[in-house]
Formats: sequence, C-alpha cells, structure tokens
Amino acid sequence: MAHHTEISHHAPEEEHPTTTGINNRKLLMWVFLSSDCLFFGSLIATYMVYRGQSLVGPYPVDIIDVPITTISTFVLLCSSFAMVRALAATNEDRQGAIIFWLLMTAFLGAIFIGFQVYEFNLFKTEGLRIDTNLFGTTFFTLTGFHGAHVTLGIVWLLGLAWVAKKGRVGPKTALDVELAGLYWHFVDIVWIVIFTLLYLIGGFDTGPAGDPSLVPHSITGFLGLI
Amino acid sequence: MSSDPGVHESRHPTLKQYVGIAIFLFVVTLIEFVIILPVDFRGAGWTIAPLAILSAIKFAAVIFFYMHLKFDNRLLTWVFLGGLALGFAVVFALVALFLSWTPSPRSYAAEHAQPCTFDHEYVCAQYKPAPTPLPTPTPEGGAAPTQVPAPDDASVNDSGELVAVGQQIFLTGQGEGTATGCYTCHTIAGLEGAAGLLGPDLTNIGAEAGNRQPGVTADDYLRQSITEPEGFVAEGVERAVPGLMLMALTSGLTENDVDALVAFLKEQQ
Ligand code: HEC
Repeated sequence: MAHHTEISHHAPEEEHPTTTGINNRKLLMWVFLSSDCLFFGSLIATYMVYRGQSLVGPYPVDIIDVPITTISTFVLLCSSFAMVRALAATNEDRQGAIIFWLLMTAFLGAIFIGFQVYEFNLFKTEGLRIDTNLFGTTFFTLTGFHGAHVTLGIVWLLGLAWVAKKGRVGPKTALDVELAGLYWHFVDIVWIVIFTLLYLIGGFDTGPAGDPSLVPHSITGFLGLI
Repeated sequence: MSSDPGVHESRHPTLKQYVGIAIFLFVVTLIEFVIILPVDFRGAGWTIAPLAILSAIKFAAVIFFYMHLKFDNRLLTWVFLGGLALGFAVVFALVALFLSWTPSPRSYAAEHAQPCTFDHEYVCAQYKPAPTPLPTPTPEGGAAPTQVPAPDDASVNDSGELVAVGQQIFLTGQGEGTATGCYTCHTIAGLEGAAGLLGPDLTNIGAEAGNRQPGVTADDYLRQSITEPEGFVAEGVERAVPGLMLMALTSGLTENDVDALVAFLKEQQ
C-alpha cells in the first residue's frame, strides 16, 4: 500500500478501470470469502456426519453450555456493529473515531476469543479433548478454525488501527477498512451458523443411556445460570 | 469509478439503519435462546426448522447490510452466493451419503458406544447415580419416614416405599405414567438433582402446605397443586409464577403416582 500518502485524504483515489467494474482487491476478498464458505462447509459436513457416532463420553449434552455461548455470541454481534462504525468513521474522515472503533472491534473480538479459551479449557478439565471421541474431534476442529479466523481478524484490525494512528486511514483508503470489515463480518456469520448447529441444535445430543441404576438428570448448570 | 466520499456513502445504510440491524440481530438471537429454554424443547426435532430459519435471517441481514452486498455490484452477490451454494451442496451431499439427518447412532456406534462415565461435577450429568431410596429424615419432622404409617392409604402398606417412589418420580418424571420431571423447576435442599429455579422451593413444603389455603389440608393442597396446578397459585411465595406449572406437565401421572408424590412432598419439612 505504498501509494498511501499523508498529504491529502481527499484527493480522488486513482483507480484503474477493470473489466468487471469492481476494484480487484474487493473482488479478490469476495472470492476468498466465497471459497471460505467451502472450507467451513466441509468442516460442518464432517461434524454433521459424525454427529451421534461417538463411542465414549462426554457427549454434547454433558458438556455444552448454551447460556455462556449465547453471551459470547452477543459479543461477536456487537463487534460487527463496531466494525460498521469504523468504516463509517473512515468515510467521514473522523480520525479519532476510526481508531476508537477499530480498537473496539478488536477488543470485542478478543473477548469472544477469551470466552472460547475459557470454554476449551473447561472442556479439557471436564474430559473432552480433541482426541477423546468424534464429537471432540469435529467440535474442536470446527470451532478452533473459526477461532483462528477471529484471531487473524484481530491482528488485522490492530494493524489497521496502528496505521490509522499514523493518520494514514481516511476516505481515500477506505477500501482498506472495508476489506477488513468484510472479513470480520464473514467470521461473524460463520459463527451464526456454528452457534445454531453445534449449540442450539446439536448441543443436547446424548450418548447411549447406560446402566438402569443411573437415572437421567437435568443439567442444573444450564438453569442455574439464568 | 469515482470514490468521492459523498457518492460512496449514499450507497451505505445510515447509522440509524445500522443500529436497527444490530438490535434486530440481538433480538433474533434472544428468540433462538428462548426457544430452547424449556427443558422439553431442548434438542427436540421440531426446533430445528425455526432455529435454522432464524439464523438464515441473521445471516442474510449481515451479508446484505453490514457487508453491503445489497448496495454493491451484483457480480459480488453471485460470487459469494455461488461459494455459499457449493458449501451447502457439500454439506447436503455428505449428510445424504451417510444418511445422517438425525443424530442417531449408526450400526457401529449403536453397538459400541458406552454411556458417559467421566466423574466431574457437571459432566455426564444426565447419568447421575440413582438417588438413595430414602430422603434423609429431618429433625423437625419427628420420626424417620419409615416409621410413620401412611395415614390414609390402604393400597401401599409401607409409606417409606411410597415416599421413595415419590422421590423417584420427582427426580425422573417416570412413574406408572410420566410427567415433566419436577426437579427441573423445583429445588429441595439436600436432595441431589433437585435444584430447579423456575418454581417455588419445596424444601419445607410438607410443613407449609397445610397453611397455604384456609381450610385445605396439607394432603389436599399438595394433591391439588399437582393435579390441578392451574387451580390456584401460592401467594407470597418466591417464584410462584402463575402459568408455569401447567396441567399438561402433570396430566400424564396416574393416581398412584400422585399419591406417591404427595407422600414424598409431605416428608419435606
Ligand atoms: C415448568 C416448571 C414446573 C414443573 C415441571 C413443576 N412445577 Fe410445581 N410449580 C411451578 C410453579 C411456577 C409453581 C407456583 C405457581 C403455582 O402454584 O401454580 C409451582 C407450584 C408447585 C407446588 C405448590 C408450591 C407452594 O409453595 O405452594 C407444588 C406442591 C408443586 N409445584 C409440585 C410439583 C410437582 C410434584 C411436580 C412434578 C410432577 C412439579 N411441581 C412440576 C413450576 C413447576
């Protein structure tokens, strides 16, 4: 991005014409996101195919905590809103606001990751590791890759905030922020799907009922949190 | 293409619209959460369709507004929806190939899967050991339950046995008939598994039941609370929310089940 200068944000950006009429970087971003749908699609398919096929516990109902994850889902949704504000501030050339909203987006993303680290750790102490059963393998692979996407997004946003601090982000370079935003929102929608599938729908899957002297029992942790 | 900020901006939603979308996403997520709140709805097959539709709506709101696909070159929409459709096709094809539309185990897992046994406070919670046959005798209640003959029940001689059956029904919802497990909503201190927080605490219900309604004995009060829960609502009792304990939850119980539950609850003093 050598052509970014500090001299003027308002000079019209030199954009060379393209056959599609779309800026090439933007098209590339969308093509990448489109291909990422396939990436997550195959991980989701794997989760679905192995759903209910684990041979040992813990099974989803033993371990999935929907209320906590609902909170972290809210946090990620809020971060998308912050991202939108960052782009608006960029278009309006409000320098302080650009930095604030970029950092806010990264911060909310970091909280989401914090929840995930907490969850993974808890699962580990509760006996579910990536090699415990098919549920563990497919769950950690899918949510782990999503977490990696969020982490990459945080690094990207922090980088942008750093550049913005030097005064190099403004209407002229709004595309830089817009592309980061596209990536960030995409990560959010992937989570919308994962949350619904792995938590709201698959989170109550049980293993085989065992010994008749063991009785079914509600997950008190679930209600206790409300 | 001009990237004059003014022109560029007019293609984006306004701040007000963005706030509206944020609130919308928030509310839809809340609705999804509420759908799976009742114990019986969790994991129920019918919840899949509404949950899938709600999340598809959220998905669309984010890509069309936050990612402003709606305002951008049409080609981008096709590029993205193309990948999305392929992704869906992959999921669909694999699931169809393995016939795994439901989470039921296929033959290998059906033969080899073992119940969860990991011993941890929360884990494997649905397979807690069966409760001990008798609740611990309470000091105030006087004699231990086994020593008190059932006053007005001829069919079962041993009231201790009746109490134990009642406890079993309370903790599992399974008697001769079935009901929604009482433990999901009611707490009885000292009884493992009974820690629900939606209905009144029943720890001392045996002592209190006689004073709830003037002229109604403890026995009748408890019986009516179970068989006609909508009949009256305890007044001045914490978490006595009307409309939660519904007839449908208990109508599957038989006469004997109710007798056992009443006997069990009377012991909670
Ligand atoms: C969906 C949650 C729910 C379930 C399941 C449920 N209850 Fe209740 N229960 C309540 C609520 C809420 C109240 C208070 C309102 C009322 O009296 O209807 C209540 C009231 C009662 C009372 C009167 C309490 C008092 O302090 O006067 C008794 C006794 C009782 N329930 C017993 C049972 C038994 C036995 C079962 C199992 C067959 C059961 N409940 C299942 C929610 C529930």
